[in-house]
Amino acid sequence: MSAKSTSSQAAEKIPFYRNVKMIGALAQIIFVIIFLLLLAFMVTNVLSSLKKANIPADFSFLSRRAGIPISESPIRYNSQTDTYARAFLVGVLNTLKVSLLGVVLATILGILIGVMRLSSNWILKQIATVYVEIIRNTPLAVQIVFWTTAVLLVIPPRSLNPVKLFGGGYYSNLGLALPWLFPSYQFMAWLPWLIAALVLAIVAYGYRRRQIIKSELPGNPWPPAIATFILVSLASYFLLASSSKLPDKLVTTINPKSGVVHSYLDSNDNGEQDADEKYLTHIKSDVNLAEGRMTVNTQTLTESRKIVYSEFRFPPILQNEFDKATVDFADPEAAKADGLKIHFYDEPSRGVVYKDLNSNGKFDSGEERFTEGEKIKGYSTKLVLDIENFRRTVVTDRDGNARIPRFKHITDTTAKAVESGPSSLFGGPTAAKDENIKELEFDVKPVVTGPLVLSKPSIPISQYFGGMSFSAAYLGLLLALVIYTASFISELVRAGIMAVPKGQTEAAKAVGLNGLQTFNMIIFPQAMRIIMPPMISQFLNLTKNSSLGVLAGFAEIVVIANIIGNQTGANVPTNILIIGSYLTISFAFAIIMNAINSKMAIVER
Amino acid sequence: MIPARKPPMATSGIVPWLRDNMFSSIINSIISILALIFVVLSFFNLFQFIFFEGHWERVWANMKLFGVYTYPLDLLWRPLTAAAITMGLVGLSAGLATHGEDGGEIMVGVFWWFFALVALLAVLGLIFWESIRFAWLIVALANIAMFYLGKAVPQLSKRLMWLWVVGILLSFVLIAGILPADSNPDSAFRFVKTKKWGGFMLTLIISAFGIIASFPLGIALALGRKSKLPVLKYFSIGFIEIVRGAPLIAWLFIASVFVPLLLDQSPDKIPGLYRVLAAVTFFSAAYMAENVRGGLAAVPKGQTEAAQALGLSAWQNTRMIVLPQALRAVIPAIVGQAIGLFKDTSLVFVVGLADIFMVHKIVSTQPESLLITGGIRLELSLFLVIVYWYFSFRMSIASRQLEKQLGVGER
Repeated sequence: MSAKSTSSQAAEKIPFYRNVKMIGALAQIIFVIIFLLLLAFMVTNVLSSLKKANIPADFSFLSRRAGIPISESPIRYNSQTDTYARAFLVGVLNTLKVSLLGVVLATILGILIGVMRLSSNWILKQIATVYVEIIRNTPLAVQIVFWTTAVLLVIPPRSLNPVKLFGGGYYSNLGLALPWLFPSYQFMAWLPWLIAALVLAIVAYGYRRRQIIKSELPGNPWPPAIATFILVSLASYFLLASSSKLPDKLVTTINPKSGVVHSYLDSNDNGEQDADEKYLTHIKSDVNLAEGRMTVNTQTLTESRKIVYSEFRFPPILQNEFDKATVDFADPEAAKADGLKIHFYDEPSRGVVYKDLNSNGKFDSGEERFTEGEKIKGYSTKLVLDIENFRRTVVTDRDGNARIPRFKHITDTTAKAVESGPSSLFGGPTAAKDENIKELEFDVKPVVTGPLVLSKPSIPISQYFGGMSFSAAYLGLLLALVIYTASFISELVRAGIMAVPKGQTEAAKAVGLNGLQTFNMIIFPQAMRIIMPPMISQFLNLTKNSSLGVLAGFAEIVVIANIIGNQTGANVPTNILIIGSYLTISFAFAIIMNAINSKMAIVER
Repeated sequence: MIPARKPPMATSGIVPWLRDNMFSSIINSIISILALIFVVLSFFNLFQFIFFEGHWERVWANMKLFGVYTYPLDLLWRPLTAAAITMGLVGLSAGLATHGEDGGEIMVGVFWWFFALVALLAVLGLIFWESIRFAWLIVALANIAMFYLGKAVPQLSKRLMWLWVVGILLSFVLIAGILPADSNPDSAFRFVKTKKWGGFMLTLIISAFGIIASFPLGIALALGRKSKLPVLKYFSIGFIEIVRGAPLIAWLFIASVFVPLLLDQSPDKIPGLYRVLAAVTFFSAAYMAENVRGGLAAVPKGQTEAAQALGLSAWQNTRMIVLPQALRAVIPAIVGQAIGLFKDTSLVFVVGLADIFMVHKIVSTQPESLLITGGIRLELSLFLVIVYWYFSFRMSIASRQLEKQLGVGER
């Protein structure tokens, strides 16, 4: 090779076919030619077969009306009016929604497990080791199926018997619903104040920082900045909240049949919402109902892998939401003739119908399972709940709607509507078609709120209303992704911490730092330098792995793109869209993370 | 007189060990007790579920589906012979490895782990599976006999490579068949359509094919990426980064849509298995390239310079000096990648292939399974966890041992 040629004259004597540069150039040209030929072959094939099979190959379908129902969307999405493009955008946002939270939680859990594996506590170390060895060596697909279809959809109680969380949240097999703060009609008035608070906080930070540098003493510039921000924003919040007035021409209505509360701006005062009149989101309203009636059938359910017999469940009504509530059989005589009684688990919402077999005057477990003609185990009978002075505060959602349970008029004793499942408790067209039924007397009043309004979830029936809800599919996917990725991150953390020289710990001890300080200020920052680059690729893996959402039934990019592809036949463009969006996400992620990484990394010696 | 002092605290025995490792401080003691309660409760619940609550009879009743899916029952001896051949080769390789200097004990450790499973299947077969009563016993015997053969005849190691090539081809022919099915519907050697392949057999076929086929492709891409020729370099970089930028599930969908289009064939002419194999190979190759690149970077520059000084050509240098050292260094990473691919084959359900993961979904919706209160998804997913874990866990341990032995990743 070039080592042999001692002078430029000698190099010129080499024939062209033995010249390294020449061979290289030739090889590249041949490669390009072969590649182009192959490409041309494939493209012509694709085009001809697309034509043959009459498959659309352009993106014009994106502007058509989608008509895909998507249960879960971070943005407003209406399957009736929105386009395929917007449906796909929902998919992208759902992917981001699960991956961003997943990355944060996986990092926290990963660091925790990594530290546990290095802990001096033997049992913690063993737990962490078992965790890592099991999770890392099992496919993510199995874990997603495990968490969603085997655990989160099966083990939690059903929606009409939710776990009530502290602070007003609910948890059931529909997922999790939490109270949440939303911007109200006054938020735009508060926004300038927030910006001002931020500016003041930055000024305070800069001032304090200069002071610290001048004084040459250790100090932290953050507390005054944070205090300034909190003070200014809180003061302005309460100022605005105390002088708050409801928007002019705000109208809040309720549909007595469906129980839907709706708020909008009635700009021409005609008493109904015209096409150009916008609905208002996050309006708080007090709903009052003088008296009303609900009916349900008792039923036998499968819950938490067990059979529940003869239970009735009204939509959950809290104790402070009514003056008087009575539950009785719709046909008391027949029930009495059958010897049926009602036992409450949670008066008045939930209970069981039983027959006092041992005549001790109270319900014993097993008495709800009486056999009748040797075959019937559960018992189905209609129950009515009569309520007086029902009141509830609701907050309209981003579609301008809120809901309360569906009531009938109390005189409606001839209620014929057969409603067996809990999902038909409202929204269905079956009930209240009878002209004789009187209208319910509702009283709906919008309530004045500050710039933010707290929306509490209520009535989990076929879905949650109010607050912020996370579906079981989302939770299952998130849980599996977090647990899976954390097992890899924990190994990185462990390796990173072990790579910090022991002398660092000893030096920290020598200057008098305690164990926690040593870890926080000496070990961890140095370990992070080593951990960061492989951690970024784990974050990317988590994002890409969210494409397994199809197993949880979570509508992310791949799921929605495939539905679009199946509906329109445009499989080729949708697959290009999938790849395009993942590449965009991956590269954007990589750029951001590498920027953070280069900022964090200490300049090499 | 010096007053008598108490003896120093004991430093060995159970009590001091507990004191040092679990109850060294008040906070540590609280954590230990809480952790203990957690462990005991988890074990109790798991134990109760596994031994009293679980409906394992549904898993047991579908063992054939989990193994080979709808592969014809009368031809079951063919995949079992293939299993005997491959397990025999595994045994032979492990036996021969006992003579080598490094990696030997690691390989033998893996061998015993898998032999335990084969032996268990042999026992189960003898007791329960009438149709294949002695088949697994033969597999187990082939496995162990070849191990001792390899131990006794070290000269075989020269032929090992060829034996593997022949064995794998033979296994494939056995599973696929050689005679057209329509002319001899009852022939023992008739074709079995890939649609009927499935279960754990398919999982193994896809992952083995993927890792083997992606190996040369990955080396080529890694060399391409390090090449000084810009066209090759940027082509390789583009391929690697684009493939790695999107998830496997997307590539599987693309393969199932595009492969028939690219070849201008009707989709039903190209079986799903081949499309999946194409996708898995290319996907795996991109990751393989990155692993190999790591190995190439680990070869000291002096090696190349020394080769040049000896007058080796660039190709000779790569083939005889750089690659052997680079590949040796990346064996652990490749084992890790094989585990990853083995786990990832569970995604082939998206194109309708019935690997063991898809079979579990099928079993969970069988009418008999739906009759059981609450379904049997918990049992099925636990079963899958055990199956996948049994293979991955031992391989990942081997990968770590190899890493330690090769001194890779040690600072």
